[in-house]
Amino acid sequence: MGNPSGVRRGLASLTLKHAALIALSFLAVFPLYWMVVTSLKPEAEVFTSSLLPAHWTLDNYVSAWNSIPMGRMLLNSLGVAFAQTATQLFTAILAAYAFTRWEFRGSGLLYGLIGLTWLVPFQVIMIPNYIVISGLGWRDTLLGLIVPNIASAFAVMQLFNTFKSFPKTLIEAAHLDGASDWSVLWRTIFPNLRASIASIGILLFITAWNDYFWPLLVTTKLENSTMQKGLQMFISSEGSMWGTLMAATTLASLPVLVLYLVLQRQIIDSFVKGGLR
Amino acid sequence: MASKKGWATGLLILSLLATTACGSNTAGTVNSGSNVADASAAEGSSAADGNEQVTIKFYSYNLAIASQKEGTQQLIDEFEAANPNITVEGIPVPSTEINAKVQADIAAGSPPDVAQLVFDGLDFAVNNFGAKALEDIVPADELAQNLEGFSANGLKLGQLNGKTYGLPFTFSTPVLFYNAKLFEDAGLDPGQPPATWDEVKQYALQIADKTDASGVHVGGSAGNDWIVQALIGSNGGKVLSDDRKTIEFGSEEAIGAVSMWQDLVTSGASDKLNDSEVIEAFSQGKVGMLLFTSALQSAFLAASEAGGWELKAAALPSFGEQPTTPVNSGSSLMILADDAAKQQAAWKFLQFVTSERGYTIITSKIGYLPLRPAIVEDPEYLKGWVEENPLIQVNLAQLERLTPWVSYPGANWFQIETTLLDAVQKAIQSDDDVSTIMKDAAARAQALIQ
Repeated sequence: MGNPSGVRRGLASLTLKHAALIALSFLAVFPLYWMVVTSLKPEAEVFTSSLLPAHWTLDNYVSAWNSIPMGRMLLNSLGVAFAQTATQLFTAILAAYAFTRWEFRGSGLLYGLIGLTWLVPFQVIMIPNYIVISGLGWRDTLLGLIVPNIASAFAVMQLFNTFKSFPKTLIEAAHLDGASDWSVLWRTIFPNLRASIASIGILLFITAWNDYFWPLLVTTKLENSTMQKGLQMFISSEGSMWGTLMAATTLASLPVLVLYLVLQRQIIDSFVKGGLR
Repeated sequence: MASKKGWATGLLILSLLATTACGSNTAGTVNSGSNVADASAAEGSSAADGNEQVTIKFYSYNLAIASQKEGTQQLIDEFEAANPNITVEGIPVPSTEINAKVQADIAAGSPPDVAQLVFDGLDFAVNNFGAKALEDIVPADELAQNLEGFSANGLKLGQLNGKTYGLPFTFSTPVLFYNAKLFEDAGLDPGQPPATWDEVKQYALQIADKTDASGVHVGGSAGNDWIVQALIGSNGGKVLSDDRKTIEFGSEEAIGAVSMWQDLVTSGASDKLNDSEVIEAFSQGKVGMLLFTSALQSAFLAASEAGGWELKAAALPSFGEQPTTPVNSGSSLMILADDAAKQQAAWKFLQFVTSERGYTIITSKIGYLPLRPAIVEDPEYLKGWVEENPLIQVNLAQLERLTPWVSYPGANWFQIETTLLDAVQKAIQSDDDVSTIMKDAAARAQALIQ
């Protein structure tokens, strides 16, 4: 039996911790709650501060769905985000393996250069990229959205750090058994680091999902664009359509919410491990 | 482990799906590309006049605003119905990004044929986007005939160095919206809105004192400088000299205009909200008066009906006895096409959207102003609509004194505009000396003129 005052102290500290966490969770959840509630309010109530709509309505959803080709844009967003994530992970895994496996002349310089590209703002390379995409005839296509983003310096750097932690003796042992580099990468390293790779993949997915400016530049028709461009249509300096915007945002959040529910564990890990974004 | 395996499989399947989506999409684009190619093949002859098919690309920011998309599309549809040999490919681009998009497309070798460009970028569009002067591509008599009935002031909006580069498309003027209920609560007569800035201050202080609402807010200190230009002009000043070489917003008149604004804030007559916040606050009936774009009218009208108060509007207040200079916001349509057939098709499109029918749609469906004054009296066009929407009268009356939004010269035009807005914000958010702030900003802006 512990000392009762110690138990009390422990209980008090636990209560305090929980209270703090509940308050923080409230801060995180409330904007989402407000989004959903506003989406269910008629236009006249949008600016009221009541926590529940006085008259529930789905009009905003109907209006959002009819104003933009939402189904198509959501599919495009999903396609682009998944394809971009998959290709970025693939190129990053190859690069990270190469940097870990071989210490060649100039490898430090090459790694440094890749790191530097991460620091170059998108606006600097946007026009040259756009000219190339136009030259290839990929404007207004999903290829135009995905291909310039198939490699990510951020992913290479993150994965390099992960791969470095993998025991070299295991790789050497696999080589002694006659395994090729390809086989070592996919049969020895990949299965063991899958959780870390998945975590980085989730961060890449979120970045791709939120991208606005590149789709804006590359696509012209709404049917060929992504969801973020559609959401912008409800915002204007001459008055935003808040109810409709919140309905569209709620619908746009659903796929990511489902993904989150499925991959909850990895997402939390990725934020803890990545310490970024 | 099982869930990780599932994740990997899911990712693979979805990547494959995405690739399939890419494939179908590319196919779609090839098709539309061949249409464009067909259209290009048809060029060279007088395509727009004959039966040859011409496609013009039209960048519009009204198409990128959900509430204005329908009216803009109606303009395109009616035009296409009347001109079956011309296809207008309407492309939505937000107003804040439209210049960047046009610039990128020029670099990529495929600029739009017609672009809806905001007036503050007029000089840049003329000198860098290759905007075509109507005088250069349309015979003089045809042009004169088409511009008959156009508001003379309105025509000046898209002119630079004596040539017409853009025809005004969607634009508004600054209007003093006010909440009639708050006026009554404060013991003011809603039938007698303030006409001068001195009265605005006095009314606002009374509203702030007698009600829970704030008195007044002057919008336009962020984003674009058209309202700032309207205030400086109404106090007898200018932002740029007539020869377009000297920045003049460091003048005594400009300083006087901004000092009045600062005084509204420091005296407590004005709230300290930003422009987005004040749109919400005014909609909620928490602000007595708001000077802002007339394009907000329909949104405010809906909010007032829902909130149980009456929306009223008055003209841009004056500085004492001086006449006001309501500066327009908004955009004009400019022809960027180099190809003669596309230029002619684009001219036809411009003719239609600025025709009696075009401005009827623009005013009644999109919420901007007609530049053909006669149509508001014509039962075939806007007479009925104006009777149902009397608030627009204030706006229409201001067209008589409409003053063009000045675009700054050179590649740094936007930085100059931002310098002015930053100075105004600095002045109204502090009690610092307005004269020092404005003169310093003018000197920095002058260095940016090329």
